[in-house]
Amino acid sequence: MTDGPGAKPGFVEEALPHLDAVYRFALRLSGSPDEAEDLVQETFLRAFRSWDQYTRGTKAKSWLFTICRNVFLRRRERTKRHEEIVSQTATRSGSESAPLVNPVWSSVQSLDPEGDFFESIVDERIVAAIEELPEEYRTAVVLSDIEGLPYAEIAELMEVPVGTVKSRLFRGRRRLQDVLYDYAVEMGYISPVPGERIRGWS
Amino acid sequence: MTLFDERGDGSGGGGGGCGPENISCEDALRLVHEFLDGELAGVSPAEVAAHFEVCRGCYPHLRLERAFREAMRRACASECAPPALRAKVERLLAEAREKG
Repeated sequence: MTDGPGAKPGFVEEALPHLDAVYRFALRLSGSPDEAEDLVQETFLRAFRSWDQYTRGTKAKSWLFTICRNVFLRRRERTKRHEEIVSQTATRSGSESAPLVNPVWSSVQSLDPEGDFFESIVDERIVAAIEELPEEYRTAVVLSDIEGLPYAEIAELMEVPVGTVKSRLFRGRRRLQDVLYDYAVEMGYISPVPGERIRGWS
Repeated sequence: MTLFDERGDGSGGGGGGCGPENISCEDALRLVHEFLDGELAGVSPAEVAAHFEVCRGCYPHLRLERAFREAMRRACASECAPPALRAKVERLLAEAREKG
């Protein structure tokens, strides 16, 4: 890919190695393998065409994730997802005044201090829980916990302050933990914490 | 090396520090995410790690947060793009290169 009228020196070496990571990110964003494949193709095409705007050696993975997310968001309505965040922050894990420690953990630790029940939860359930998060939380959690990006890169990618990244990570992780805890109780991997309401029960 | 020593007060989550040279339980739990993310600012990772090593109350929370992150990585981090997708991308890029 280094010859021809549209040759882009360095693209193969710097950008293509991140194809798997971009695919994973696209899968988590869209929740659909077909849509993820479309996103990946469009991401790399756009990246290839804009390669001259990219400064070599400066976090190609983050740059590709930025393009991928922008493509995804242009295909979806932001307003609808923002409304989901607003309406869902009233849940037990979304409050700004949420305790430092997840309340379910305080009691789980005596039943299962090593968190072994996480081993019992099938990967598909974890993936489904991630994909159920509102996009802003999902993106932050995936970029940090799956792809290992530092806060500053996530902040730049999402165009928000680092403090907002931390807040989204806190809320996203807390929501995931609550969902996975509920699932673990439902499946009998762990006993319910007395007094703790399970999602979906009255 | 034992995980807990006699200094652990077992309070976890609201009490004072587990020794004059350690940070408080509240600080440790407040910093657990930054600690696990490698993003501590203004306090050394060694100091936070030292608290979790000796505090019976706080260590389980660290352990659970770590188990949670490991479960997420296990579920998601090994996914790879299908070979057919990789071939499609390479074809698209070759076409774009030819067009100039």
